Amino acid sequence: MLKVEGLTKVFSNGKGIRDVSFTVNKGEVFGFLGPNGAGKSTTIRHIMGFMKPDKGSAAIQGLDTWKVQGTVQKHVGYLPGEIAFIDEMTGKSFLNFMLAMQGIKDTAKRDRLIERLQFDVSTPIRKMSKGMKQKVGIVAAFMHSPEVIILDEPTSGLDPLMQRVFIDLVLEEKAAGTTFLMSSHSFPEIERTCDRAAIIKEGILVTVKNIHELQSMQRKLFEVVFADTADADRFAASGMQVEAREGNMVRVAVQGNYNDFTRETGKYNIRSMDVSTQNLEDIFMNYYDREGAMQ
Amino acid sequence: MNLTLYKEMLRVNLKGVMNYAFGSAFYILFMIWLYPGIGKNTKAIDELIAAMPQGVGNAFGLNNGFSSAEGFISGEYYGLILVLILSIVCVQMSTQLVARLVDRGSMAYLLATPTTRQKVALTQALVLTTALVVIMGVTTLAGFAGNAWFLHGGEYAFNGSRFLQMNTVAFLLFFAIGGISFLVSCASNDEKKALGISGAITFGFFTLDLLAKISGQMDGLRFLTLFTLYKPGEIVSGSASVLQACTVLVLIGLLAFTLGIQLFRRRDLPL
Repeated sequence: MLKVEGLTKVFSNGKGIRDVSFTVNKGEVFGFLGPNGAGKSTTIRHIMGFMKPDKGSAAIQGLDTWKVQGTVQKHVGYLPGEIAFIDEMTGKSFLNFMLAMQGIKDTAKRDRLIERLQFDVSTPIRKMSKGMKQKVGIVAAFMHSPEVIILDEPTSGLDPLMQRVFIDLVLEEKAAGTTFLMSSHSFPEIERTCDRAAIIKEGILVTVKNIHELQSMQRKLFEVVFADTADADRFAASGMQVEAREGNMVRVAVQGNYNDFTRETGKYNIRSMDVSTQNLEDIFMNYYDREGAMQ
Repeated sequence: MNLTLYKEMLRVNLKGVMNYAFGSAFYILFMIWLYPGIGKNTKAIDELIAAMPQGVGNAFGLNNGFSSAEGFISGEYYGLILVLILSIVCVQMSTQLVARLVDRGSMAYLLATPTTRQKVALTQALVLTTALVVIMGVTTLAGFAGNAWFLHGGEYAFNGSRFLQMNTVAFLLFFAIGGISFLVSCASNDEKKALGISGAITFGFFTLDLLAKISGQMDGLRFLTLFTLYKPGEIVSGSASVLQACTVLVLIGLLAFTLGIQLFRRRDLPL
C-alpha cells in the first residue's frame, strides 16, 4: 500500500534522512517514532510528494508520489504536523472547501466526525485554540474516506478525553480496512493503535518491529515510596536496577521483568507508587545504546 | 486551473480588491470633478508649470498639459496614484497567494487534494490577474462615467479611445510587474522575504523611472525599468508606440508567470 525505498535527502546543514526504507501493508496501522528533529516530518513530506528525494522513492499504491502529482491524493488523507489554515475562513468554510477540492458532495461523514470531536465549526480559524485546529485538521484528513491516512503528530494539543476519541476513530477506520501511517514522539500514543512501528533517530531508521516486541523492549521507571525506611533499604538491595534513592523513595528501572518487580514490592508496605514519564530515548535506552555500540 | 480554488481565493481576496477598486474609482471621479474648474484656466496653469524646472514637470507628469481631461488625469492620477495602488496590490497579493501559504503551511492542504502544483500555481496567477482586471476595469468605467457626469459628455475635451489605451497599457504594465512579483513569491519559502524582494523590485523600477525623468544625465536608467514602457502623458497626446509597449509587457508578464509556475512545480516545499 505504502512503500518507502532507500529514501535519502540531505539538507545543506547536513541534517536530513539517509536510506530510509519501510513498507506499510493494507489495513495496517504503522507508527513512526522518533525524537523531535529525527526526520519523521521530512520522511512524511516525501511521502506526500512535497519534496524531491536525492535518492530513493516513496510510493502509495505503486504510484511514485513525487512523479505522479494529482492522482494519488484522491486516496490519501493528510494531517500536517503544523496546523495552519487560511486565516480568513471559519472551520466550516474550510472543511467545505476541502470537500469541494476532493470533489466530494456527501457531507454525512464530515458531520459525523464533527459531532464526535465536539467543536464549534462556525468559529473563525484565527480565533481557534491549538486543540480545536487539530480537530478541524483531523476531520479534514478523515472526511473523504481515504484508503491511506497519514498523520503527523495527530494528538498534539488534544486533551486526554479527545485523545481517547481519536484512538477510537483510528481503530474504527482500521477495522474498515483503512491503512495508517502516524508519526509521534511519544510511545504510549503509538502503543495503543499501531500494529508495527519504525524508530528513526538522526535521519536513520533504527528498527522496524511489531508493537509487542517494542513493548517488551521498553524500559519503565517506577517510583516506589515505602512506609518504612528499612523496607526501602531492603528493597534497594534486592537486586532490582535502582536508578535513584531519596529517603523512603526508590526509583527502579523495569524492562520486561514485571513479575520480579511485583513480587519484590509485594513483600513490603507501600505508601505510593508512580510511573514517571520519559522521553523516547530513555524508553528505548538500551536499544539505542546497543545500536550505537554496533556502529 | 482549479475552479474550486479559484472561487475560494477570489472570495478570500474580494474585500481587499474591491477596496482598492472603489478607492481608485472614487479618486478618478474626484479628479474629473475638479477638472472643469481647472479646464477654464489652463493657460495660467500651463505658464506656472513652464516656470518650474523641466525635470520636475517630467517626473510628475505636469507637462502633459491641462487642455484635455484625459491629459489632466494622465498626469495627476495615472502618473502616480494609480501606479502606487497597483504596485501595492501586485506585491501584496502575489506574496499572499503563494509564499504566504507555503510559509504558514496552508499549502500542504491544497497539495494534499487531487490537484497538481501546476494547477494550483496557475490558479493563483489567474486570481492575481483577475484582481488587476477588476481594479483597472472599475477605474476605466469610473473614468467614462465621470466624463458623462461631470464633463457633461463633450463640454470639455475628452478622447475616449486614448483614455482606453492608457488604461490598457497600465493594466499590462502591472500584469508584467505582477508576473515578476509572482515569480519571486513562487521561489520563496518565507513570506517576509518574498514581500521584501518583490517590493524592492517594483519600487526600484518606479524610482529608476523617476530618476531617469528628473535628470537628463541619468537618462540611461530608463532602460533598466519597465515603467519606461508606460508613459501616460505620451499615450494621451498620441505620441507613444502603444502596440510595441503592449507586446513587450505581455511577453514579459507571460514569461514571468510561466517561470514562476514551473519553478513552483519543481522545487522542494518545506510543508
